[in-house]
Amino acid sequence: MNLTLHFALLILTVTFAGLCHADLNSKTASAERAKALIDDMEALYRGDISKALITMQVVTPQYQRSMEMESLNQGRDNAFIRILSPKKDRGIATLKLDQEMWNYFPKINKVIKVPPSMMMGSWMGSDFTNDDLVKQTTLTEEYDLALVETVDHYTITLTPQTHTVTVWGKIDYVIDKTQLVPISQQFYDDNDVMVRQLNFTELRDYSGRLLPSRLEMIPLNKPGHKTLVIYESLDFEPVDISDSDFTLRNLQSRF
Amino acid sequence: MLLLKLAFRNILRQRRRTILTVLSMTGGYVLCCLSFSLTDGSYKNVIRIFTMDHTGHIQIHRDDYLQRPKVFKGIDDTPEQRQQIHSQPGVQSIAPRVFTPALAYAGTRNTPVQIVGVDPALEKTTSRLFDKVTQGQYFDATLNADGYYSAMLGIGVAESLRINIGDELILISQGADGSIANDIYIVTAIVGTRNSWDRNKVYLPLSVAQEFLSFYGKVHQYSLLLEDENAVGRITQSLATALPTLTVNPWMQVEATFYNSMEADKRGNRFTLLIIVFIVFIGVLNTVLMSVLERTREFGVLKAIGSRPATIAGLILIETMMLASMSLLVGVVIAAPIIAWFALRGIALPDPIDMGGIEFGFMTGEFSVGVFAWPMLLIMAFAIVVSIPPGIRAARVSPTRAMGSF
Repeated sequence: MNLTLHFALLILTVTFAGLCHADLNSKTASAERAKALIDDMEALYRGDISKALITMQVVTPQYQRSMEMESLNQGRDNAFIRILSPKKDRGIATLKLDQEMWNYFPKINKVIKVPPSMMMGSWMGSDFTNDDLVKQTTLTEEYDLALVETVDHYTITLTPQTHTVTVWGKIDYVIDKTQLVPISQQFYDDNDVMVRQLNFTELRDYSGRLLPSRLEMIPLNKPGHKTLVIYESLDFEPVDISDSDFTLRNLQSRF
Repeated sequence: MLLLKLAFRNILRQRRRTILTVLSMTGGYVLCCLSFSLTDGSYKNVIRIFTMDHTGHIQIHRDDYLQRPKVFKGIDDTPEQRQQIHSQPGVQSIAPRVFTPALAYAGTRNTPVQIVGVDPALEKTTSRLFDKVTQGQYFDATLNADGYYSAMLGIGVAESLRINIGDELILISQGADGSIANDIYIVTAIVGTRNSWDRNKVYLPLSVAQEFLSFYGKVHQYSLLLEDENAVGRITQSLATALPTLTVNPWMQVEATFYNSMEADKRGNRFTLLIIVFIVFIGVLNTVLMSVLERTREFGVLKAIGSRPATIAGLILIETMMLASMSLLVGVVIAAPIIAWFALRGIALPDPIDMGGIEFGFMTGEFSVGVFAWPMLLIMAFAIVVSIPPGIRAARVSPTRAMGSF
């Protein structure tokens, strides 16, 4: 009698453990899938190397401003952005190497490192933060991912890991299932209130890749503000990019 | 007339007592006058210093710029706009200004500063900026030979950046259109002292500051000086009606902290004076009461021959008023030269007092009608109050009992 009970308990335990294991497996699989999806999305605009011509429009209730800039990317870590117009801002450049970032101002011939405390600050007065330019690449490393599939969309919910330094309480990343392109990102604060939204629209063919050409960042806590990013051209096989483009020396070069 | 004669004779009956009472009231009056004169005078001095220094008598902003300064809250600075304000009666001068916080660099050093864009010519007429230049030359809005515009620094900026006249100054800020404002300027002058309002300021010519901030044709502030500083309230009103789209504030609102503490200080001062005068008048009450008690018999006789109680109370009132008037007469004679001296010379303070970066070394008095008139009213009011109890007592005297007693 004692033995029977013992045996029954054993069977129960083993079954339960098995169940747990199976559950864990599917969870890992979905996380893996989510990670792969986000990595794909992030790689879409960058490629291994890429060169883009971007128009950025900053809209606020008080003013409206348009900038043209050239953006060079190398893998996921290095980026170089230079403002081409308006004339007043021409030559202002941003260099990003891994997790570090510098701005260069040609008028005063000065390189200023963006300190960690300024990472959530606005980049060139837009609704994008410096962090958006630097940290996007590490979404899959610093967040826990959960994937939800619907008929048309993948929705990946990113929740920060305990050691992650971030201001977001949660990010929802929505991906189009058929085209495999991002549709939107929603950023929530710690109280689960949506504070900003990034929309990807207007698919365009860039040398064989179909990509949303228009990014719209809407900070929901600042009515009337938004920033548009339009990819005028995007070249994934630029011939004139080398490692020397991503150096502090190049940042300060006159052009 | 008879009553006056009677009252006059009565107060002359006890000459020594009258003189002493008059003197104590005179003392109270002179003290009040001096205190009024000194507080009003020294505050007026401070007010004059800071209104002339940078505040102006009236400031005009757009919306709530005064409470929440945001770089994009600008006034459209057209010649017509300036003309409309300047042509208001009583407005002596007008100075347009632009403000923004910025980071200043020189070599490897940097410091936060406040940029003030001023019109070099108009600013001279409205603030003392021109007089505050301690080293170098007051600037203008022209390019120098190397193609740089000039800037004037507060002494604090110059010291923390360790730069001087002729050195380069780099400024970085956010423009009104959200862009990054950045440029190099050449220091042409150092302004102010270590304690002054300007110690962390960088002055740029107005047009240069507007270009720096991409803030073309706009200003944050008009600062006005008036012909008569006492007309602030009235002219603020008329400007506010003339400029419905802008916010017009008198200096009392711009420097609200100072104004409120000044008012509180004045109120406290007046309360102290009230207590002193009250003590003086306890003595006066004693005198009047004494003289009434002494004359109980006389009042009895007056009543007996048909005087009305009101007449007798009136007699006491007139006597007290005569005492008060005499003391005021003496008081004015004593106070006037002293106050005149205070107003003209003032007391030199051993250590100049620093009030919000504005130093004043002399405590000067105010010589005006108000300084003499307000204490006068106070003394008269107390004299009336103090004559009520003895007056009632005298009026109530019963002739039979009064004449029966001795």
